[in-house]
Amino acid sequence: MTGACHLKALGPKVLSSLRGSPGRWWLVIAVVVAALLAFPQTMSSPYGLHLMILLFLSVAMGESWNVIGGYCGQYSVGHAAYFGVGSYATLMLLQYKHVAPWWGVWAALVAALVVSLLIGTICFRLRGPYFVLASIAVAEIIRLIVLNWKPFTNGAEGILLADIPALKLGDRVITDWLSKTPFYYLGLALALTTLLVNYLVQHSKLGYYLQAIREDQDAAHSLGINLSLYKNVALAISALFTALSGIFYGLYIGFIDPPSVLGVDLSVQMVLICIIGGIGTNFGPVVGALVLVPLSEALRANILTKLLFAAGVVKESSAVGGFLKENLAHAHVLIYGILVVVVILFMPDGVLGFTKKLVARGARQLSAAPQPLVGGLRGPTGD
Amino acid sequence: MRVFLQSAASGILIGGVYALVGIGLTIIYGVMRVINFAHGELLMVGMYLTWIIFTWLGVDPIVSVALVIPLTFLFGAFLQKSLINRVLNALPQNQILLTIGLGLIISNVVMLIFTSDYKIITTSYSSSTLNFAGLRLSTPLAISLAITSAITTILYLFLLKTDTGQAIRATAQDRDAAQLMGINVKRMSVLAFGIGTALAGTAGALVSPTYYIFPQVGGAFTLKAFVIVVLGGMGSVVGATLGGIVIGVTESLAAVYISSGMKEVFVYVLFLLVLLFKPSGLLGRSRM
Repeated sequence: MTGACHLKALGPKVLSSLRGSPGRWWLVIAVVVAALLAFPQTMSSPYGLHLMILLFLSVAMGESWNVIGGYCGQYSVGHAAYFGVGSYATLMLLQYKHVAPWWGVWAALVAALVVSLLIGTICFRLRGPYFVLASIAVAEIIRLIVLNWKPFTNGAEGILLADIPALKLGDRVITDWLSKTPFYYLGLALALTTLLVNYLVQHSKLGYYLQAIREDQDAAHSLGINLSLYKNVALAISALFTALSGIFYGLYIGFIDPPSVLGVDLSVQMVLICIIGGIGTNFGPVVGALVLVPLSEALRANILTKLLFAAGVVKESSAVGGFLKENLAHAHVLIYGILVVVVILFMPDGVLGFTKKLVARGARQLSAAPQPLVGGLRGPTGD
Repeated sequence: MRVFLQSAASGILIGGVYALVGIGLTIIYGVMRVINFAHGELLMVGMYLTWIIFTWLGVDPIVSVALVIPLTFLFGAFLQKSLINRVLNALPQNQILLTIGLGLIISNVVMLIFTSDYKIITTSYSSSTLNFAGLRLSTPLAISLAITSAITTILYLFLLKTDTGQAIRATAQDRDAAQLMGINVKRMSVLAFGIGTALAGTAGALVSPTYYIFPQVGGAFTLKAFVIVVLGGMGSVVGATLGGIVIGVTESLAAVYISSGMKEVFVYVLFLLVLLFKPSGLLGRSRM
């Protein structure tokens, strides 16, 4: 037995020993959260923090969409509406009325809630593909209104945030928002909150209603579940956290315009995070974000081209090399397209479900094979 | 009144092209029950093909339709065989996501090859107008309406009179029954996706003298194509033709009387109203 073989055997072992013991999962989560909390202390490069913030934002967006799309099965492709309404409301209040974002956020959430109720009442009368189309149409209407209502929203020029007032508690300045660190913790809190919301929804009565609606609307209805009520509740929860993600995005980036916070591309991106990771699961969107953010950032930062050059696949001086270097960075959305096609065709349960299956198969093979000497690695508590 | 007639006339002209896009989408939906979210991107491929043929070979965009049709047909047939065919029995959401992913791939690959610079095709008649019963019509759009009408007529005849056309309609009516009658439904699906793509590609070629050509141009057309198809009743070719004209005229009138930036808002509002109050479309439940 070689060491590598041991390690290989260890992965499924650890995972399978974790399964069925929720207490240990909580331990893993606690360790990960502690590591994430300590991360800014060890990370000096702003780019590293930026990447993590993008990751948190993607997790929050994916988890928010998961409530309505994953558990309730209503594939809204118009979630940019809530994202955009949230960020526009907060940034407009801050920029034009000098309302601090921690007050503006409440107004923005009310606005997002109103929009979600409006969209819900219109779109939930429709089912399946018609619902998808209607959700896109409503989001596009909102985008076009924001784009054309120039005196109110500053139209296509968007809103450039001057600066965020320092957050003070009494006389003590908690943060002046000048570094990336406060955004890191804010993003982490947002991601963890959305994750917790998903967990709570999934394990509540509401979650069971939603999953019943997802599996068979008519059957759920005949069992006495009020379809439009629970769909609207799910959409409202989803919309509130999508709006929070939008607010976070607006404050962090400091600039919003209709294409960046209200475009169809953004709505599609939220759906794809869930689909690629694993739809309707707690950690699916986390996995989706973990796959998508590094990949698309690698393309954006031209790391992929550099890797190709380093591996000697393409020469930097050649025509193809120069072309790739110049243009591949613009095509970071390409990765979303390729991944979603691959996932739909080959991994119907997303990357998370696919990995779980692989692990399960590995564990089964392991238990069928003669037991290697891994007893000593089982940890002090044993099984 | 004159302004009204003038804008209604230009609405009908652009509506002809919209009809072509809508018919393509409705045939694909009718035969396969797949909602093709990459339809606008297929149109964009048609635009780029026309641009290539125009810049490299110097062929006029109108003439190049003859080349664009077979090329986009083959492209569509290839997409159907390699990708769409695998999800025919999948959940509708998954089909939608697959075509969304496909659209992203197509537009990003085009962006990789041609960059996102705007391209234009300038022909001698690009900005010329012609007089028709006292109305001034844009020449390229008038020509495109003539070609659109010809293609639509040929398509109707093909669907109504030929054996293959009847087989396509039978597949659209009831896939299983058609298969039991000995129709090769797989072949019909490939054919339908090819025809749908070719129609989108043709529409792309026809609008290329009047539109900017860039990789993201497809998105707006995709949504408009859905509006057209839902308006006319999913799966109805006659409905899509009518829907195209209605959308063209609505847009044109809204642009003149309200604001050109808001014209699409009215299209989407109209769409929502139809979805809510007449979900089977203007022409009821007819299919093809």
